[in-house]
Amino acid sequence: MLARALTHALVGLDSRAVEVEAHVHTGRVPGFGIVGLADRACQEAKERVRSGITSAELQWPKDRRTTVNLAPAGLRKEGSAFDLPIALAILAASQQLPAEALGGHAFVGELALDGRVRPVHGVLAVAEGARRLGVERLVCPAACAAEAALAGVRPIPVRHLAEAVAYLRGDGEPEPAPPPNGRPRPPFADLADVRGQERGRRALELAAAGAHNVLLAGPPGTGKTMLSHRLPGILPPLTEQQCLEVTRIHSVAGLLEPGRPLVTEPPFRRPHHTSSTAAIVGGGPGPRPGEASLAHRGVLFLDELPEFARPALEALRQPIEDGTVSVARVGGRLIFPAAFQLVGTMNLCPCGGQGDPAADCSCTPQRLAAFRDKLSRALLDRFDLVILMPRSRAAELSAEPSEQSDPVRHRVVEARVRLADACPPMSTGARGLLDRAVERLPLSGRGRARVARVSQTIAALAGAEQIDSEHVAEALSYRPPNEFTPV
Amino acid sequence: MSTYRRLCRSDAAFPPLLARIHGPPDALWLRGHAPVEILSRPAVAVVGARSCSGYGSHVGRVLGRELAAAGVVVVSGLARGIDGEAHRGALEAGGTTIAVLGCGIDKDYPQRHARLAAEIAATGMVVSEYECGVDPAPWRFPARNRIVAGLTRAVVIVEARERSGALITADFALDEGREVFAVPGEITSRLSVGTNELIRLGATPLTKTVDVLEELGLVPTVAKPTTRLTPAAERVLSVVRDASLGLDEIVRASGIDAGAVAAAISELELAGLVGDTAGLFRAAGGS
Repeated sequence: MLARALTHALVGLDSRAVEVEAHVHTGRVPGFGIVGLADRACQEAKERVRSGITSAELQWPKDRRTTVNLAPAGLRKEGSAFDLPIALAILAASQQLPAEALGGHAFVGELALDGRVRPVHGVLAVAEGARRLGVERLVCPAACAAEAALAGVRPIPVRHLAEAVAYLRGDGEPEPAPPPNGRPRPPFADLADVRGQERGRRALELAAAGAHNVLLAGPPGTGKTMLSHRLPGILPPLTEQQCLEVTRIHSVAGLLEPGRPLVTEPPFRRPHHTSSTAAIVGGGPGPRPGEASLAHRGVLFLDELPEFARPALEALRQPIEDGTVSVARVGGRLIFPAAFQLVGTMNLCPCGGQGDPAADCSCTPQRLAAFRDKLSRALLDRFDLVILMPRSRAAELSAEPSEQSDPVRHRVVEARVRLADACPPMSTGARGLLDRAVERLPLSGRGRARVARVSQTIAALAGAEQIDSEHVAEALSYRPPNEFTPV
Repeated sequence: MSTYRRLCRSDAAFPPLLARIHGPPDALWLRGHAPVEILSRPAVAVVGARSCSGYGSHVGRVLGRELAAAGVVVVSGLARGIDGEAHRGALEAGGTTIAVLGCGIDKDYPQRHARLAAEIAATGMVVSEYECGVDPAPWRFPARNRIVAGLTRAVVIVEARERSGALITADFALDEGREVFAVPGEITSRLSVGTNELIRLGATPLTKTVDVLEELGLVPTVAKPTTRLTPAAERVLSVVRDASLGLDEIVRASGIDAGAVAAAISELELAGLVGDTAGLFRAAGGS
C-alpha cells in the first residue's frame, strides 16, 4: 500500500516542495528505510517515528517492509521537520488513516519519542511554499501555528501525533493556536540613560535618519557600546513587507521568540569578535543565513571592530554595498538579503590609552600600525559617520538627564519621509564649501560623496528646503579623523 | 626621477655652520631641485619623540608651520612623530624644509614617509652624508643628529622620553654652541621627562614660536585670519583657546547644540584655526 504526504525542505531562506512517499509491503526482510538524500537528523527520524507511532497507541507495521522516499531524490534534506509527514504517510500506507485525507494538506513538525509534536525552524518558509502550490492547510506544531498563519495559509496546530491523526480521521479540529504577537515586546534601551555624549547622540540620530553606517572610536569606557545599543530604539518601525522579510530569515535560523512570531522591530545583532566568516556572512554545507542577514533591516553591531578576523570584515563589504550576501556552495548559489546598518566600535590603539588624557599609550608604532591596518581603507570608506569619543570628564557624568528615545525616533521618522521624497538641491555656498574641503582636507572622491550624503540627512533632519553650507560643514566633521589615515 | 647631487666640503656652497662642527661630513648627498643655498639659510631644527602624544604632534605641526611662515628653514629627521609633523607643518605654510636621513637619500625611511619625502624634495631638500643605497642602521641615527644640529642655529625638542635620540641632537647642539629650546610638558607624562630635564639643566623653555624667532633676530610675520567666521565659530574658537576640549565639552561650554558645534569646528578646521588629535580640539597656534 502506498501513501503520499506533502512537505517542504528548506533551501537557504526558501522552501522546495518535497513529497513523502511511504510504501508498506510484505518484503522478504522486515525493516524500515528512508531514501532520498536524507541527512543524519533526517535518517534518525526512523527511531522517532517508530516510537511516536507506538506512543500514540497506533500500530507500527510489524513484519512488513516500510520504505520512505523523499522526492525529489536529488535534493538534500536536512533536519527533523520531516518526522510528522513521514509518520502520517506511514499510517496512511498501513491503512490506519484514509489516504485521501492527506490531500490538500502540507505537514511539518518534529516528533518526540512520546508522540508530542515539537516546533521546528523555517515554518514560515514552508507555509509560503504550501501557499504557492495552492495548498490551503498546514498541519504544524502548535507553537509554530501563528508563524504559519503569517503566510496566509490556515494552520492546523497539533500538539501530539494522536491529535493530527484524529483531525485527519475527521474526528474534529484541534483547538486553535493563540494569536500572533500576544506577548508585548521587551522595551528598548532608552537614550535617556546616556548622560552627556551630545556628539554621540547627534551622530546616532543622523545614523538612524539616514541609515548611515557609524564607527565609534575612543578609549575604553567612554560609552561607545552603551550608545550603540540605543540605536534600534530610535529607528523607525518596520513596514509590513519588511516584517515578513525579517521574520522569514529569523524563522529559518530558529530565532523567533515563542509567542511573538512576527518580528516587528529592527533586529539588533552583535556577533562576538571571534565569529568566523561563515558565521557573519552566512554559509555552511546547507548554507544558512549569517549575522549579516539576521541583521537585515536592522543593526549589525561589531564591538571592538579591529579584533574581528580580517577576512570576516572584508566579507562584509559586499553586503554593505548591495544589501545581499551570495553564498556559493557545491550545491549551488544562494542569495541572502543583508541590508543592515553597520555600527562598529574600536579603541584608538591596542592598549586603549590613546585619547585618554589620564593614560599613557604604551603601544609600539608597529603594533599600532598593525591594529589600524585591520581596518582597510575600503572598509573605513563605508562608514559615513566616524565619531571620536574622548574620555569624558567627571562633570559630564553628572550632566542633566538627557532627551528620551521617543522624541528622537519621531524626528527620525519625519526625516526619513523627507529623504524618501526627493533629494533637496545643494546651495552654491554649500557646494563651494565642499570643493574647498576636498582641496584642503584629505578627502577622497568616495569621501566627498559620503559627506554629500550625510549633509543631505542633516538637512532633512533640520527640515531645510536645500542643503546649506552649515549642513555640509557639520557633515565634514564626521569624516574619518587623521588618526586613521596612514601617513 | 629625482636628481641626486653631491656637495663636497671643499665646495664654496657647503653650509658654513655645518663645516664648523666637530667632525663635519666630507660631503652631503642632496635630493631635490632647490638651490644649494637653502642649506645656508637661517634654520631651526624641530625634533622629538617618534611615538609622540597628541599634544606633541600638535606642537610639532604648529612650530613647523609658524617657523616656515616666518621664513625660517625647518630641519628635521623625517622620522615618525614629531619630525614628520614639523616637516608637514612647514610644507603647509608653503615654507622650506630639509630632511636629514640616517641612510642613503634614495631610501625612503621610514617607508610610510615616502610621500612626505617626495613632497619635501619638491620644494626643499632631503640630505644625507651616506651614499645612495646605504641602509638605515641604529648607529647611523646619532651621526645623522649631528648634521641636524650642525645645519641649524637653534634646536627645538618637542617631546622626548628619558633616553631619546632627540636628546643626542640637543647634546650636539650644545657642544657646537647652538641654542637649545625644549617644549615644556606635563610632569606626569613620560614623553616629557626628557624635555623637562633639559629645561632643568638650563635649556630655554619654549612657550611660543616667537621665542625662537627672537633668538634668531627675526620678526614674525603675523598671519591674520582672512576668513570671516560665523558667530558660532567665533564662540567655539574662544572656548577652545582656553583648553583642549572634546566636542561634548565644547557643546556644554559654549551652549551651542552638537550639530552647530560640529559645523563650527569644520569651519575653523578649514580656516586652519583649530586642530584636533584623538577627538580633542585645540586652537592652532598661540594666542
